[in-house]
Amino acid sequence: MTEQELLFGLRHGEESAFKELVTQFQDKVFNTALGLLQHHTEAEDIAQEVFIQVYRSIQNFKGESLLSTWIYRITVTKSLDHLRSKKRKKRFGFLSSLFGDNNMPVYEPEDFNHPGVLQEKKEDAAILFKMIELLPEKQRTAFILNKVEELSYREIAAILNTTESAVDSLLQRAKGNLRKKLNELPP
Amino acid sequence: MQNKFSQERIESIMTSLGNIQPAVAPDFFYTRLKGKMQPAADKKTFFMLRPAFITATLAVLFIVNVISLLQTAKTPKQDSPVVYSKPATIESFAAAYNMNTATVYE
Repeated sequence: MTEQELLFGLRHGEESAFKELVTQFQDKVFNTALGLLQHHTEAEDIAQEVFIQVYRSIQNFKGESLLSTWIYRITVTKSLDHLRSKKRKKRFGFLSSLFGDNNMPVYEPEDFNHPGVLQEKKEDAAILFKMIELLPEKQRTAFILNKVEELSYREIAAILNTTESAVDSLLQRAKGNLRKKLNELPP
Repeated sequence: MQNKFSQERIESIMTSLGNIQPAVAPDFFYTRLKGKMQPAADKKTFFMLRPAFITATLAVLFIVNVISLLQTAKTPKQDSPVVYSKPATIESFAAAYNMNTATVYE
């Protein structure tokens, strides 16, 4: 099924087209969300929300970019929104643990292990993922799209609505920041 | 400050995502997705129960209350005389209904 046929089917509410879309993109969406969120269940939830969003707003898709670019963009936006809301909740939880009477421990997530990392590199990758979490949003997104989803600079630029040179700059800064943070790591 | 990781280790960490295999979506992803979409499709909230409608109604009620309170506060207080009317008598009743005037028959 070509992209045009797929779009035609989606715009006419054909279930077969929607199923085809999900089959084509589910791994890409899940892998991107997983890289950004570093949590399997949350990544699955966000991936589902992405497809629901695509289904609902397919009429708004003008076709000015590739369908894949549009879907990646939704994935990135939803994942980052989720991270922001999680951060807010965490901050609120910390405050309520300071002032509140319930002494629930602040949830500390365990090390994230991406299922696609080679066995011998798992420990190093877990450290790297922890450092990636500390990067600014744009650098983190560019890094994940490039290193985890293995997208080209051109694809990343289209998703982030920027230029290839800006993507290159983001990646250079991301790598610089990661090295700096690794150098500062406590024992 | 002494480095905790050697440069060699840092390089190893930095390149640890090399040859990474993409994660695949969990089994039955499509089935679960359809399951999640179904209630959303079935759910047709009565418009009066929508948060936007409720909020707007409450806002209007609040504004009306505030305006009426302000109006009440603006109105000068009058010492309205309390009229204690006398108990009705036959005379007062006749006077009220103009029955004590002379008629042509008298």
